[in-house]
Amino acid sequence: MTKVSFQLTVNGRVREASVPPRMLLSDFIRHELAMPGTHVGCEHGVCGSCNVMLDGKAVRSCLMFAIQAEGSEITTVEGLATGDDLHPIQQAFWEEHGLQCGFCTPGMLATAQELLAENSDPTDDEIREAISGNLCRCTGYEFVISAIRSASVKLRAAQAETTLQPV
Amino acid sequence: MSNHLKSNVIPPSRQREAPRAGMTWIGQSMKRVEDPRILSGKGGYIDDIAVPGMAHAAMVSSPHAHARIVSIDTSKAEKLPGVIGVYTGEDMARVVDPCPSFASPPITQNAMSVGKVRHVGEVVAAVVAEDRYVAEDAAELVEMEWDILPACVDLEASAAATGEAVLHPDDRDGNVALDESFSFGDVDEHFDEAHTIVKRRLRWRRSSAQAIETCGVVAQFDPFKGGYTIHSNSNFYNFIPFVIGGSLRVSPGELRIIPVLTGGSFGSKVFSHKIIILTAGLARLAGVPVKYIEDRLEHFTNSDSHGSDRLYDAELAVTEDGTFTSLRFTVMDDYGAYLQFGVGTHGNAMAQVTGPYQIQSFGMRVMAVLTNKTQQGPYRGFGSEVTNWVMERMVDAAAEELGRDPVELRVQNMIQPDQFPYMIPTGNIYDSGNFQKVLSEAQTMFDFDGWRDKARAMRAEGRCVGVGLATCMERSVYGPTEWWSLNNKETPGFTLTSTPEGITVRLDPSGKMFVTLNSPMVGNSPETVVAQILAERLTIAPEDIVFNYSDSQSGFNGVGPQGSRFTAMIAGACVSASIKLEEKLKRFGAHMLQRRPEDVELRNGTVAVKGLKDQEKPFGEIALTSSFFRLSFPDGEEFDSGIETTAVYDHPLSTDPAEDRSHLGIFYPIVGHICHIVAVEVDAGTGKVEILDYAAVHDNGTMVNPRTLAGQVWGGTANGIGTTLSEVFNYDDEGQFTNPNFAEFAMPTANEMPRNFKLGHVETPSPFTEYGIKGGGEGGRLGAPSALTSAIEDALSDRGVKITSLPVTPPILRGLIRTAEQTAAE
Amino acid sequence: MKPSAFRYERPTDLQAALALLATGGDARILAGGQSLVPMMNYRLAQPACLIDINRVSDLDYIREDGDVIAIGALARHGAIKSSDLIKAHLPIVAEAYDWIAHAAVRNRGTLCGNLCHADAASEMPAIMQILEAELVLAKVGTTRTVAATEFFVGTYETAIAEDEMLTEVRIRKPAAGTGWGFEEVAMRRGDYAWCTVVATLEISDGNIVAPRIAIAGVNDCAARLGTVEGALTGKKPDASLFADVAATAAEAATPTENAAYKRDLIRALLPRVLNDAVERAG
Ligand SMILES: Cc1cc2nc3c(=O)[nH]c(=O)nc-3n(C[C@H](O)[C@H](O)[C@H](O)COP(=O)(O)OP(=O)(O)OC[C@H]3O[C@@H](n4cnc5c(N)ncnc54)[C@H](O)[C@@H]3O)c2cc1C
Ligand code: FES
Ligand code: FES
Repeated sequence: MTKVSFQLTVNGRVREASVPPRMLLSDFIRHELAMPGTHVGCEHGVCGSCNVMLDGKAVRSCLMFAIQAEGSEITTVEGLATGDDLHPIQQAFWEEHGLQCGFCTPGMLATAQELLAENSDPTDDEIREAISGNLCRCTGYEFVISAIRSASVKLRAAQAETTLQPV
Repeated sequence: MSNHLKSNVIPPSRQREAPRAGMTWIGQSMKRVEDPRILSGKGGYIDDIAVPGMAHAAMVSSPHAHARIVSIDTSKAEKLPGVIGVYTGEDMARVVDPCPSFASPPITQNAMSVGKVRHVGEVVAAVVAEDRYVAEDAAELVEMEWDILPACVDLEASAAATGEAVLHPDDRDGNVALDESFSFGDVDEHFDEAHTIVKRRLRWRRSSAQAIETCGVVAQFDPFKGGYTIHSNSNFYNFIPFVIGGSLRVSPGELRIIPVLTGGSFGSKVFSHKIIILTAGLARLAGVPVKYIEDRLEHFTNSDSHGSDRLYDAELAVTEDGTFTSLRFTVMDDYGAYLQFGVGTHGNAMAQVTGPYQIQSFGMRVMAVLTNKTQQGPYRGFGSEVTNWVMERMVDAAAEELGRDPVELRVQNMIQPDQFPYMIPTGNIYDSGNFQKVLSEAQTMFDFDGWRDKARAMRAEGRCVGVGLATCMERSVYGPTEWWSLNNKETPGFTLTSTPEGITVRLDPSGKMFVTLNSPMVGNSPETVVAQILAERLTIAPEDIVFNYSDSQSGFNGVGPQGSRFTAMIAGACVSASIKLEEKLKRFGAHMLQRRPEDVELRNGTVAVKGLKDQEKPFGEIALTSSFFRLSFPDGEEFDSGIETTAVYDHPLSTDPAEDRSHLGIFYPIVGHICHIVAVEVDAGTGKVEILDYAAVHDNGTMVNPRTLAGQVWGGTANGIGTTLSEVFNYDDEGQFTNPNFAEFAMPTANEMPRNFKLGHVETPSPFTEYGIKGGGEGGRLGAPSALTSAIEDALSDRGVKITSLPVTPPILRGLIRTAEQTAAE
Repeated sequence: MKPSAFRYERPTDLQAALALLATGGDARILAGGQSLVPMMNYRLAQPACLIDINRVSDLDYIREDGDVIAIGALARHGAIKSSDLIKAHLPIVAEAYDWIAHAAVRNRGTLCGNLCHADAASEMPAIMQILEAELVLAKVGTTRTVAATEFFVGTYETAIAEDEMLTEVRIRKPAAGTGWGFEEVAMRRGDYAWCTVVATLEISDGNIVAPRIAIAGVNDCAARLGTVEGALTGKKPDASLFADVAATAAEAATPTENAAYKRDLIRALLPRVLNDAVERAG
């Protein structure tokens, strides 16, 4: 099988790739880059567990070919925490019990990241709408919504702190 | 008590830890121990596993519902570069035997079909290749010739089918695999004496759990040791070697099954034995480790976890004053093409078939019908979700026929708080409860009377708004007699009666407590629960506990998280282990403190002298000394190095079924109770249902962690909402499964869930389990369908629409409304 | 569920893309991939060559061109949904997007890809027809324009030729005071429609002027309801008139499945859409 070679940035690190053009981005991230945090639940674009951030937007990695991400910046769940410190959104999911089996969670986190970047104080209905493209069979979504609401508070607090700091 | 139950004596309670006020850890909504690793993407699910030299399998699946395999040509596929081997059912049969079956007499099922296929999606050949892409390329090149047989799709038609349409002519003459009748108590008498007999024909159609992760296996065969090493996301990994060793032609001890974090089960991964046998067989044939992860289509069509698919003809006997005296029904269940555990899902339903009501007798005829569909497996409720709905439908029907208020009628027939333990006609008991309290709290929380008035007023304006209420049982802590108690008593099959759960606890010389669990994490919170219970019992901090999971060779008894058993069962094991550890700690600690063991106690992670403040030894120091400084202690076995123990907890309360099956014994006695109330508005023109308000009150005994319990309730309710409004598997006349994907099998998204879900809890502790804990993993799905159905019927009460079948998707509901409109117009 | 192998081409300008398309040989354009890739994963589509237009950045625009709004082939659903230009002039498009897939899918999917895919249950084909959009089809050397009302031929079938590409959608800004309505029934919000009814109209002297109505999700492709439009023109908005035209439309429909239900949906939704449109007109 002919392979294509390219570069992309994943979680801040430049990665070299050499894969067949048909390799899905989800498989590339999971198996070539050995970053299994991105999950695959349906491979037909519905469940959202494969969502990753691509150049600042949440996208279905099962509906893209890896080669399409050439030159792009991808953030996966592995890129959220700083060292041992969970990202505020992860922290909020932990505190609010926003996950049970955790399989949908990386996709939920990507969706939440995008939402909160665009809308720092979403209403519950806006959160609902935003995550409506992410299926979760465990939680019934209630605590996912609480988690995102709580994350928005955390992020706004962090934002306020940085703006208040003397320059 | 009815005569037929006299021989069913309730054993004494084995509870050692009674619930008490002021517990430190039990009852706290502690953050989960499991979460940080999962949240950071390091959970370790089945598809995250890679072993050196691993190849990948892809399946060739049957496009036909029922057909003979005339020929399979694998030659083109074999030639494709990257392909290691292509194998048919006959190749497979050289290395593995048919799958185990709990049905008695058994029905033969091969992990890969031999000779004939019986449902769409059944595997007929497999490719093992260097990667999954190539494997799928090769699978497309396998050429098949078929001899199509008549497909049995309709339940009743299949039951009557003969000749070529019989699915398993070698095992059964027809497609009715089991047909048994039971009478528990004076059923005929009660019906003869009844003032009113309420009759309904009720239909519950199939769907399934569809956890977001599918099933998968990584299998290796070691030809020199003759055994297999298998990673699997089965719930049952410590039990399954005994079930599948025979199929894999190895002794259970030669099977090493390694668990992984599981991406949701809801029953669907309880066994997963077929996929293990299939993948292991391929690994053996190909001579390399093989990974096989079902894709979503395969999970829908071949994962053997479809849910109940039943037709009931039900009758409720009622006296003049509205007292229910007896329930009886004939039920036909479309089990699909095989019968992996017989009619276990009906056995399960026997635990609470008469609901929260005092009903003196119960009779049933159960027929397991085979059709050309994927076979049934467990799905949250395991059959009891249907009987809960049937019971509640019958109560609503009785209320209507008697002109009574449905809630009042429920209250009149409910078991009273002073009647526990209460034995129902089948012989199972309800250990404890306060159904009236659950009901009244739910009504208050929902403002039930207010909502009813409001709904009535809205209906008067022409809107279709209604309120529905359901009072249901949530049996927990299952006993395995449910698998076989309804089999013909002459041929009951494997009469299993054990469901042990074990734990190993070791105090490491550093002072950390290492806990080994024998059941996997499937989205429940096994580590959190154990941390809370051990912390409570041993006065330690939960963060000092480190968890790992055994594999089936290193491990011990463990039956897994299903049947809402895990929390109550592992609590029992934790208490057993704690008692043993406490004894050891005191022995070593007392020696170090130069006291007698009876003079010391456990206090904040130390062994301390009773009544004295500073006389104490931290567990860490005791563990260190006992591990590394043997000479500090006297001779004798009782001071053997190290502080470690393994404990097993058996089912807290079960009895055998009566030999003549006049009762089924006690097998699911730890009962919770739930009340769901919902208000809906139906768009009569489109059949769309909008949930306006929702309240649920659950009684699951002592709550270990209210927040994780709430998560289970919400998740279960979401499943129940899907079951009621949108989820159904559609088959056409040829037996084609027409919606096996997430776009058309419509599981609720966040948009479909109620906006203002209110959840409350009542705590009626069980007198039989440690700390009074009851299970709570299924309740949402056990209550939501009944409440929603009632609400929809109430909303459409002015139009005379009756709901006798689930789901009521918008097209179905609109169809019912249309028919009612046409009838009204005539 | 893995796609079969294909040759991958990634032109950076339109001419190169068209040239690749002209070489024939079962080449398909890859736009957002939100319909094509699922089909490839299921192996329902196995193109020999994919021409990925995602780097033809010249096609990524939503712009005002006099009294026309022009939307390029690379304009994503999400960008269109949140575009101020669209919200100002084509509110029905922005609103309808709430019913089309979900944010992550809209982040990639394109309007042009959606129209070329031509799913019978897709919303935009109906909306483009009532907006009387013009679709610009280019191939090496020539360009033609096809009216949206002529473009949709059947389920997954359009007027586009194999060597053509849809490069731009051109929509004349509706007259001031145009009212609009959108209603959909699907199992879940974001799913393909069981029935979508859309309408625009103006009100002049209390009478309906220039009604344009279309449905999707019912027949083998989205279609205008010419008879209904005729019956409404010049009439006063009125509940019984709306019910009558809805009944006519329902009878005239040729549902591909579940006919009774689909007809009920038209009967239920069409009056609602007309009421909304009348209310918004003015
Ligand atoms: C979960 C989910 C839900 C969805 N729900 C809806 C919904 O409710 N309603 C709805 O309408 N859609 C829905 N979609 C589909 C979505 O709108 C797609 O984005 C759209 O149908 C296709 O656009 P695309 O850019 O992704 O095209 P692609 O998938 O890239 O291409 C689709 C087809 O069009 C061809 N094509 C693409 N661009 C051009 C062009 N410029 N010229 C010629 N041919 C071209 C391709 O060759 C291919 O045949 C859903 C998709 C998903 C995954
Ligand atoms: S795996 Fe990508 S959306 Fe389900
Ligand atoms: S937490 Fe299990 S699917 Fe969402």
